Amino acid sequence: MSITPEERLNVAMTINGRRYRAGVEARKTLADFIREDAQLPGTKLGCEHGVCGSCTVLLDDLPARSCLTLAVQAEGRQIRTVESLADGQELNTLQRAFREQHGLQCGFCTAGFLMTATALLEENPAPTREDIVETVSGSLCRCTGYETIVAAIEQAAADGAEGNDDAKDGAQ
Amino acid sequence: MPLLAMRLAAPSILVDLQHVPNLSDIEDRGDHIRIGARVTHREIERSALLADRLPILSAAASHIAHPQIRSRGTFGGSTAHADPSGEWPTILLALSATMQAVGPHGNRTIEADDFFVGPFTSTLRDDEILTHVSIPTTRTAWSFQEAAVKKGDYGLALIAATGTPRGGVLVDPRVTVGAAVGSVTRLVAVERILTDEPLTDELAEEAAVAAAESVKPISDIHGSSDYRRKLVASLVRRAVVELKNGA
Repeated sequence: MSITPEERLNVAMTINGRRYRAGVEARKTLADFIREDAQLPGTKLGCEHGVCGSCTVLLDDLPARSCLTLAVQAEGRQIRTVESLADGQELNTLQRAFREQHGLQCGFCTAGFLMTATALLEENPAPTREDIVETVSGSLCRCTGYETIVAAIEQAAADGAEGNDDAKDGAQ
Repeated sequence: MPLLAMRLAAPSILVDLQHVPNLSDIEDRGDHIRIGARVTHREIERSALLADRLPILSAAASHIAHPQIRSRGTFGGSTAHADPSGEWPTILLALSATMQAVGPHGNRTIEADDFFVGPFTSTLRDDEILTHVSIPTTRTAWSFQEAAVKKGDYGLALIAATGTPRGGVLVDPRVTVGAAVGSVTRLVAVERILTDEPLTDELAEEAAVAAAESVKPISDIHGSSDYRRKLVASLVRRAVVELKNGA
């Protein structure tokens, strides 16, 4: 009885400031659209059912699971992925803090943590440790034990991270 | 969407409601508040109106999964999904909410008591959608209790309790249990004990015993039915103590 949707729909969205347009199957996830159609492989797929948080991107500035969003639902929306953070080879404040505090080991979950933390810091530039822990609770990391991730976000807040534009500000 | 990802549902047609107008408001209508089906958990968590008039919703929203989920998941979606461990079904049953549905045969309203009828089962028909939920604001005494292994996980047991205070007692208490049971359920025996009685510590104990006796908990790898029975009793005891402060 299950019918594979053969129908393709045209979808257009802005990812990291650039317009992308493609004909996609209605069932294609936003995560697959980002990785396959937009060719931005920084967004990682872990559990593919909304538990692990690796695929988190910003959808109109709010953190969202790209594995639980269909590409067609993002029609006309603004998406930001981990590729939006660095300016060329120059890491932004948040990324630098992750490196300095050892907020990653294998790195698979990192894109999700970075985007979730970006949303937090844009909304609340001076989060409490509790705010950070609450935010981080939505992503799984099997390497670090989270302490260093929380420390990295604390450092980024102290260093004045403000989303994806601060890499251009140079010295903090 | 998780049901699709886990291949538990395979619908041949999916309808996205994001461009349907008038489903995204939280409206103060005096003796009740009307919430549109597309309002997200995040919007409920941050609504100043709800924090003032229906704080049980604000308090419970932070228990729903994680911020990345709350920015996408909707009030109407979770309500219609009727997950027995869902915060909204448990709370809407305790608040005596009214669901508004629309379908090809017009509009209809369904009381919460007649809406949640089984695990993942509501009395919405296949050709209807939930459009709004109306919640009375007179039940100003409230408590919401959730026990979960870790924050954001599905609860092992949820208790919602509400009532209208009058002269130091509650005239119409409603107490519901979610997560520990196969379908969100009222604890009628507990409600009877709490009606028109001063909410003392002894009454809280009596309510906890009645809850343990009347609840029919499920058993799974996350918790045996005995364990959940004890959890339900503890949460009911705590809920009554909180209700006392609001009565």
